[in-house]
Amino acid sequence: MQGRSMSTTSNALLSLDGVCVAYRQHEVVHDVSLDVAAGEVVALIGPSGAGKSSLLRAINFLEPPSKGRILLEGREVGGTRRSLDALRRDVGMVFQSFNLFPHLTALENVMLAPVHTLGVPTEQARDRAMKQLAHVGLADHADVKPSKCSGGQQQRIAIARALAMEPKVMLFDEPTSSLDPELGAEVLATMRTLAGEGMTMVVVTHEMHFAEDVADRVVFMADGRVVEVNSAGKLMRDPKHPRTQRFLDAVRNR
Amino acid sequence: MVEILSVLADGIAQTVQITLASFVVAAVLGLPLAVMRMADSWLIRLPAVLAVEILRAVPPIVWLFLVYFSLGSSDHVQLSTFQAAVIGLGLIYAAHLSEAYRAGLDAVPTGQWEAARALALPRYQSYRRVILPQTLMVVVPPMATFAIALLKDSAIASVIGATDITFQAVQLTQQDLNGLGNFAVAGLLYIALGLPFAALARGADRVLSRRLAGA
Repeated sequence: MQGRSMSTTSNALLSLDGVCVAYRQHEVVHDVSLDVAAGEVVALIGPSGAGKSSLLRAINFLEPPSKGRILLEGREVGGTRRSLDALRRDVGMVFQSFNLFPHLTALENVMLAPVHTLGVPTEQARDRAMKQLAHVGLADHADVKPSKCSGGQQQRIAIARALAMEPKVMLFDEPTSSLDPELGAEVLATMRTLAGEGMTMVVVTHEMHFAEDVADRVVFMADGRVVEVNSAGKLMRDPKHPRTQRFLDAVRNR
Repeated sequence: MVEILSVLADGIAQTVQITLASFVVAAVLGLPLAVMRMADSWLIRLPAVLAVEILRAVPPIVWLFLVYFSLGSSDHVQLSTFQAAVIGLGLIYAAHLSEAYRAGLDAVPTGQWEAARALALPRYQSYRRVILPQTLMVVVPPMATFAIALLKDSAIASVIGATDITFQAVQLTQQDLNGLGNFAVAGLLYIALGLPFAALARGADRVLSRRLAGA
């Protein structure tokens, strides 16, 4: 146990240590350990049902891990509400279905958590939110309700909403899967910019080009386990494991 | 007709007061009941479930007598008939409204809860800023239906002596024996009083759906 925690805390910003996720008795993620360094972009790829999203959601305890530990900056996240909230303040999340608040404008969506979670004064939070909306190219949509925005714009607002918390890590759960390719492209461009600015990111994605071009490392998962981890270039071009080869062949020959 | 009306009109104020006051009690108490019933812990859920089931299983008239004979005429508490009626009806309708609230809360997609949790919004703020505004539109139409049902059920308060429309009709009938005429007028009065509730509900519904559509 001692040796294990030593290895996971070595200058990693985010560490997963023996993480399992189970729904009732059914385990969907088995014993995953992974270190993410500050500024690193890690892509999680694999067939659907591989447990990628479950693993991602375990990081901020939307699915509390059934076993194992999550460490942020070497500190283990405990089971208390206070400990969870501390983690969630530092870990931004972007969902496949955006999950914007439909009754609030884009600006209000982005301002909400800085004001009510962090206690930032309203005027200051407004400036911060406007800055983030400008960052994702939607300053002119500040006063628009999500329902009046395209899917791509909604997802960029959702990214701005997560960024307004000034997180240390951003989690993306298939952020382009519910978008057509053209709208997906504008979201990917935003994510590319973020990666270029040094944001630490963990991205569940089916976009192989994004994984290859933007990610530093790629994790291939199947059947709830990590099958192969390597630098993006190596894993995508020269996969070692037959299961990874099969998956990449299938995806590319589509 | 005019004579009957002039007598029964003395009960209108009491009927309206009982209805409105009971509705306020129900609307306020129904919300924590609904939230408790959705709690993760059964320790919190159980008392709320029991309360709702019991309140709905006992006939309103029996319930009002229970409240009246316990709180209305004990040595320590002396509730007026009005207060007893409001507490009794308010509790029953809190159980009904908690169901409407719960349907409204269930109608909010889980993604909204998850977004609020991922942003570490405190529980109270999640309800206040994210969840409840989205339940309003779903909850208003059934609330209006319950308001009209409550208006009609308020007639039961006459049995414990609240001087409402029905009470006046009973009294008048004991004098003039014109039961059919008296109660027909009473019925018309209840219909007339229900109309503004229905209109109010439609208006609120329109405003809320417009606001949520983001126009």
